[in-house]
Amino acid sequence: MQRASSQPPSLVLAISESGDRLTLKGALTIRTLAEAEKSLQAGWKQRKSRALDLGELDSLDTPGALLLCALRSHDVELTRIRPEHKALLDLVCGLELKPLPKPPYIPRWRELIIQLGKAADEAWQDMLDIITFVGRVASAIVHAFLHPRELRLPSISRQVSETGINALPIVGLLAVMIAVVIAYQGVAQLRPYGGEDLTIDLVAVSVLREMGVLITAIMVAGRSGSAFTAEIGVMKSREEIDALKVMGLDPMAMLVVPRVIGIVITLPLLTFYADIMGLLGGALIGKALLGVTPTQYFEHARHAVDGSDFFVGLFKAPIFAFVIGVIGCMHGLRVSGSAESVGRETTRSVVKAIFLVIVLDALFSILFEKLGL
Amino acid sequence: MAAAKRSPKSETILSARGIVNRFGTQVVHENVSLDVLRGEIFGIAGGSGSGKSVLLKTLIGLRQPNAGKVLLDGKAIEAIGPAERASLIGVLFQQGALYSSLSVAQNIMLPIREYTDLPPADQERIAAMKLELAGMAAETGIKFPAQLSGGMIKRAAFARALALDPQILFLDEPTSDLDPLTASGIDAMIGQLNQSLGVTVVVVTHDLTTLFTLCDRVGVLVDGKITIDTLDKLLRSDHPWIHDFLHGPRAQGALTARKQSHGNG
Repeated sequence: MQRASSQPPSLVLAISESGDRLTLKGALTIRTLAEAEKSLQAGWKQRKSRALDLGELDSLDTPGALLLCALRSHDVELTRIRPEHKALLDLVCGLELKPLPKPPYIPRWRELIIQLGKAADEAWQDMLDIITFVGRVASAIVHAFLHPRELRLPSISRQVSETGINALPIVGLLAVMIAVVIAYQGVAQLRPYGGEDLTIDLVAVSVLREMGVLITAIMVAGRSGSAFTAEIGVMKSREEIDALKVMGLDPMAMLVVPRVIGIVITLPLLTFYADIMGLLGGALIGKALLGVTPTQYFEHARHAVDGSDFFVGLFKAPIFAFVIGVIGCMHGLRVSGSAESVGRETTRSVVKAIFLVIVLDALFSILFEKLGL
Repeated sequence: MAAAKRSPKSETILSARGIVNRFGTQVVHENVSLDVLRGEIFGIAGGSGSGKSVLLKTLIGLRQPNAGKVLLDGKAIEAIGPAERASLIGVLFQQGALYSSLSVAQNIMLPIREYTDLPPADQERIAAMKLELAGMAAETGIKFPAQLSGGMIKRAAFARALALDPQILFLDEPTSDLDPLTASGIDAMIGQLNQSLGVTVVVVTHDLTTLFTLCDRVGVLVDGKITIDTLDKLLRSDHPWIHDFLHGPRAQGALTARKQSHGNG
């Protein structure tokens, strides 16, 4: 407590000439505590006497005092305590020291079962919450359309610009990349059968039907779904949502509806854009890998795909968008108080939105297969 | 608090020389110098936005000033290694800054675990003692910061600031956001620890009661400059802002508290 020197503090346990007394010299601080305990134990093995001389102790801190108090309560006599150490010793010895409580022990197997049960319950509650929230959002949207004055157009247009226009570069780049990946795989797999020309069909069909919309939806879930959760979550944690309610304004109409409508407008447009970029990417790679000119490529692609491929892809976009928007806003409103809860809910919202998008996509695949589209 | 009873201190533990802090063209501190003496309670006061927190950040070495230097125990603060700095200074942040993923006891044990090789049982004993020193029951140790009330968070953060027995404690608004009773409890604890552990305290606050009852000397930040003196002399200052600050309607209660705590000393 007295002085910290630049050298590491040191502690020496000395045994007096007559051999009946132990003397501590130097610093008894948190850094020398482990050493002190060791050497004291060794010292006491040799000596019978239970006295400890502190007259040459230069510095003492609270952990050191704690050790001395423990010794004192085990009938060790502390002698020649310096006056400046006495106050500290009195303070620490005067504390009512209780051990830290141990968290209750639960066997591993029980913990697993508890976790499983909690997860199942949470999943069930989550499902109910989603269904309820979807209902509330739907009713709020219908209400907004029935009362056009409450349709907040500036708000919606801001959302369209943020979730859509700002996402153009990244979505376009991703679509091109995905087309390149599919084309490379297609050429490699189809070449042994002499069918590398079919790569064009492969790229065009998979981009239009699946990849365009899926990649766009995942990107938008990561970009805008998380932003919805974080924006609404921060407002929730700063009591801004409560302030809205007190003013008689519905957070659902003010915050959720514009976001959901905005993203439902944006995602189909982004998907259309991603489709075009994907086809352009295919044309580019077709030239490089197959030596097909873009004109030939598009001529070929025109025969490979029909309208249903394009519309199947585009049909899914607003549904995915609705899911992403609803999940994002729902988790934002779930934030409670603290800042870490914003982070937790944002993670959950993105994971859940992407998960649901992919599950829905799988279901749509089966459905369209059965419908023969 | 028997602040008035303490013997006069002379040895300087922390000194700042010619500190200048600027944000763009806005000058927060122009040529601020101060000396904190070993064992005293030094208050830093000022209005909102007067740069109290920036000064605190500069003093603990988190912010490099645009000019000037800070000496801690005679050494430039940026030249002190992390381990030594940790054992020299403890900081109570305004919101506590307890690590939310760790329990209160683990929060206190973190620096102990990093800088010593004590066995876990000893670490826990020390953590329990720090909790006691900060006026908390050891049972609180297994709670997580999110489960604590405002006053408890301050006390837990206090216990963590004391983890390595620092020589100088920096307290950023220790009584803000607390009810008057809890705030008085924190004030009492600061005084007690200053007395019994001999730890030097630098407290940044605009809580007049803390300034009036606890601090040996006060530095008032006005317009980028600092005026340092004992409170008795500051009370007679003719600087208009300082006069208004210390004689405003809210100062009366603090003045009464001061008379009570110093009257019997």
